[in-house]
Amino acid sequence: MKLSNLTFNENVKKEILTLFGKTVDDEGFIVEKEDPSQKVLTPKGEEIRIEEWGGVLKGSEAFIKSDAFSLIELAKRLE
Amino acid sequence: MNILDNLKKIFETKFRDLFSNNKIDKIVIFDFSKNPKNVLELKEDNRLSIDLSKATDEEKKSIKKNVIDVIVQGKNEVFLGSKSLEKTKQIKSNLPNKEDEELLKFYKDKLKPSMNKALEVSLIIRKAFKNGEDIKELKRDISYKFPNFGNNLCNLTSSDYFHDHFRKLYESMLLDDDFDINIYQKKVEKIVISLPYTVFITRFKSYDQLSGEVKFKLEKLKKYGTGTLLLHGLGKENVNTALQILEEYKDDKSITIEIELNQTKTIITATLRF
Repeated sequence: MKLSNLTFNENVKKEILTLFGKTVDDEGFIVEKEDPSQKVLTPKGEEIRIEEWGGVLKGSEAFIKSDAFSLIELAKRLE
Repeated sequence: MNILDNLKKIFETKFRDLFSNNKIDKIVIFDFSKNPKNVLELKEDNRLSIDLSKATDEEKKSIKKNVIDVIVQGKNEVFLGSKSLEKTKQIKSNLPNKEDEELLKFYKDKLKPSMNKALEVSLIIRKAFKNGEDIKELKRDISYKFPNFGNNLCNLTSSDYFHDHFRKLYESMLLDDDFDINIYQKKVEKIVISLPYTVFITRFKSYDQLSGEVKFKLEKLKKYGTGTLLLHGLGKENVNTALQILEEYKDDKSITIEIELNQTKTIITATLRF
């Protein structure tokens, strides 16, 4: 696994989520656009607020958070 | 085929000239309202910017399918926000080295999982700080995740307390007949949480310095603090110093003193309440 040289800016998070068929509910959590009652979870099963969202990994759309604790796990897996 | 080739397929008719630049090494998806109409823009630092707000629905679908999905699912690359990318790079370059790994291994079965998690990030912060890097964001994360002790634990790690003091504390406590790992955990937790209200009794400071520090903190805490001050010392010499300092307050009716001493009298944690 490696980091892509394609990134996105913080101000375009909602647009990117839309591309993935996701949206943000009233409480700020990322949810499925088709079924807003279904929150998107990290591979560890945590709900994600849009401001916490860091990006996407391989897998069935593995959304990860942007805090140091989540990114350590990612950094350890990088080539 | 790389993502530039895929982007070229989507936008070639609109931006033929732009793709003749073969130095593009970064691509950023963004939303830039000052950009009048162009979906793509080549910045001076060879960064290709894609303004999604100017893309048609068809182009957006194609970016997702032929660019993002290709890098994430096809190439096993991680698609991150710009800030997360920088933070990940910083973390990767400061991941625990052999010595740090040994330290984490030592504490793995001795501290609570939350403390071990915080210790791992603290070691990364310590290394980044030594390399002269900006650590604000990482410190913010640790304080946010563990508001009770994150920041204090980070400061104690930077001052080598986990490399030295808490190791010695464990080794000393281990000598007690009634040693219990839960008591060790609680003691470390108490010291970390109480850091702003703690005076570490150490032989590297003179008696007058330590006594002055206790007096100064007591006065300050009486005005603004929680009404508690912790004195913590390790080793017979430091225990004696701590007891001597406590003697100064034995007649002070406004202060109650609780002293925790281990069997061999090599560890002291005294709580002054006022």
